[in-house]
Amino acid sequence: MLIILKYIAKLLKALSSEASPPQLAGGFVLGMIIGLTPFFSFHNLIIAALIIVLKVNIGMAILAFLIFSGIAYLADPAFHNFGTWLLENDNYQSLWISLYDNEWWAMTRFYNTVVIGSFFVALFLTIPVFPSVILFVKQYRKHIHERVQKLKIVKVLKGSKLYSIYKGVNRVRGK
Amino acid sequence: MRVKGLIFVLVVAALFIGIPFLITDEYIEEKIETRLSIANTALVEIEDFKFSLTDLHVSWSRLQVTDPDNTMMNLFETGEVELDFAFWPVLWEQVIINDLRMTDFALETERETDGYFEIPEGYDPETGVPEDAGFFYSITAEVTSTIAENARMEFTDVKDDINVDSLLATINLQSIDQMDGLKNDLESNYSKWDSTITNNSIEKNARDIEALVTSIKLDEIKDVPTAVKAIETIQKVVKEADSLKNEINTLQTDFRTDIQNSRNSIGQIDNWISADVDRVKNVAKLPEINAQSIGTALFGQNLLADLNTYLEYLATGREYGQKFIGSDEKADKPERYEGRNYEFTDKYDLPKLWIKNIELSGVTKNNIELAGQVLNVTNNQNKTGEPITFELSGAEEGVATLTVDGALNYLGEEKTESLSINYSGFSLVNSKISPSELLPYDLRSGKGDINVDLTIKDRRIESRVDYVADNIAFDFESAGAPKGTVERLIRDAISGTNRITATALIDNTDGPLKARVRSNVDDLFLNALKRTVQAEVDNAKRRIENEVQSRVNAKKAEVTQLVEEQEAILRDKYAELETKVNEQLAIVEKKKKELEDKKKELEEELKNKALDAVKKKIGF
Repeated sequence: MLIILKYIAKLLKALSSEASPPQLAGGFVLGMIIGLTPFFSFHNLIIAALIIVLKVNIGMAILAFLIFSGIAYLADPAFHNFGTWLLENDNYQSLWISLYDNEWWAMTRFYNTVVIGSFFVALFLTIPVFPSVILFVKQYRKHIHERVQKLKIVKVLKGSKLYSIYKGVNRVRGK
Repeated sequence: MRVKGLIFVLVVAALFIGIPFLITDEYIEEKIETRLSIANTALVEIEDFKFSLTDLHVSWSRLQVTDPDNTMMNLFETGEVELDFAFWPVLWEQVIINDLRMTDFALETERETDGYFEIPEGYDPETGVPEDAGFFYSITAEVTSTIAENARMEFTDVKDDINVDSLLATINLQSIDQMDGLKNDLESNYSKWDSTITNNSIEKNARDIEALVTSIKLDEIKDVPTAVKAIETIQKVVKEADSLKNEINTLQTDFRTDIQNSRNSIGQIDNWISADVDRVKNVAKLPEINAQSIGTALFGQNLLADLNTYLEYLATGREYGQKFIGSDEKADKPERYEGRNYEFTDKYDLPKLWIKNIELSGVTKNNIELAGQVLNVTNNQNKTGEPITFELSGAEEGVATLTVDGALNYLGEEKTESLSINYSGFSLVNSKISPSELLPYDLRSGKGDINVDLTIKDRRIESRVDYVADNIAFDFESAGAPKGTVERLIRDAISGTNRITATALIDNTDGPLKARVRSNVDDLFLNALKRTVQAEVDNAKRRIENEVQSRVNAKKAEVTQLVEEQEAILRDKYAELETKVNEQLAIVEKKKKELEDKKKELEEELKNKALDAVKKKIGF
């Protein structure tokens, strides 16, 4: 529960931060790709490096990763079916074979149905998700931010009180 | 772009790439030594281990693998070894080595220090022998046993003064008990037949029939109806008589069959006695003198020991192959949503280990410099598509040559190992041609050739060892005078030849392991030996047979007499019964005929009377 509260706080903080909407949206889609695809994949190393190197919002990336990891668990069979369709499609056979025969590409494990299925689904999703998040952030800042700031729960979450509770709990846990 | 983030990523990448370069060769050497020692259950030592990640190159100056059964010996050791491995397969946990150069390879070398290794706590090495290697060890144990039997074969043990009495005292002659049993069975059978013949109802029934027939008086039959009635009675009696006849026929068949069986059972007595004789002969250890046993006695020990050595190498190879290489079988993992891997080409379909080419050189225990190639060493031949093959050759002081080649082929359904060794031109001067006491002579000159062909298909072994000693001259003088007749005969036989060839054949292709040894001098020995030893053996056999026969003959006579006597008695009784019944049946037949005649007579009489009456009436 504390973790959820913590990330809601982070989300609100990120939404109201100085970060631009594209930075937030960028973090979100990169985190989404990591979340949707199998975690221990070579391409996720590159995505993680991009999150660190590019000026995208890391908090949004972590949030998207958490959300889409749960979704991916349920969607894995669909990813498998889509990946099977891709890998068995006659039109792409020469592409897959040339990728498979290249050791670097082979490290991506794009010959696995779930890896390639989830990766392509994640890529397709970036097209609507990226502008949607930008739009959402803009609309939030313009119309909702003020009202949200006045909510009691937000005050509790955002204030230093939350932080002191959070630290206090951690001390009790011995961390 | 975050500059700090970029630096962080670069630092992490640098660490990832750099850490393997920071690991020292000593650290890797120690880890490998520990892992191999645990698997070997005895010390494995590597010296001057060097590993270069940039060149993908590994080398060491010496490797010693301790024999777990004798920690002061190495199973084998190598000198300098250098190898290059492929980079990419390592990422898929595959070790692919194109060329490996190994020098100073040697089997069974002495260690300077004890190679005992204390297995660290928490490790549980496989101590059992793998099933395949176990099969080889069981075969070598059988061959070892055969060698031991050959070594014990002593023709000179055969003597004239075999004490048959004391020999028989230790053996229970089973034929006597068996004959007692047979006698009891026969007595019981005869008693049964005696009772059957004496107390049956046949005789009484025959008497009843006779009485009934006798009661019919021909004189009292005056008219046809009375005659018809009498005939009906007699027909009924005939039926009963026929039934009685059948009964006695059945009895006769059973009796004759049973008596014949009893007589046949006496035939077993000779077999029982013969088995007793064989048993006594076995205890007396009388050898079968034939070419096979002589060849085995003279050359079997050497040739089979050679073969056993090579079998043991194969067994060790299989055992260590399975221990160190393991298998490509993956542990079953749950497949849930892990997807499926598509293998578009066979590029990564490689075994865990594949050493494509080993350039090997070393020295044998006989100090022969040996060099050659071993190809396609792998843990999974189905993936390489090639069997492991080896071809080594060398020479000893420019005179003797040694070639070793073979293949370990596990591609098909049946595992096949083949090994061919040829060692030729080695000197036989000052050596003995056989460890047998029958050939205790050093050689003054001569050269030897040994050729071994060994094939193991699944669990069927087929092997042949050929041994040739050429241009040989025996040093009879140094051995002194022959110590016995057999040795003298052998000396005479071999003094006329300068070439000895011997062949050992071992196989289990059609049943248990068979070892056969033949040599060109078998017949020479055989002729000489048969003149003396065979006569002694035959004499001993005869005396055993006679003694056994004399002990069991009385019992045999007793049984035979019982059969003769009882059979005669029973046959007489049966004949008497049969005669009586037949006589009574003859009376019935006779009466029947008389009655039929009487009936005819009465009918004739009646007919005449009727005719007379008619004639009278018409006044004829």
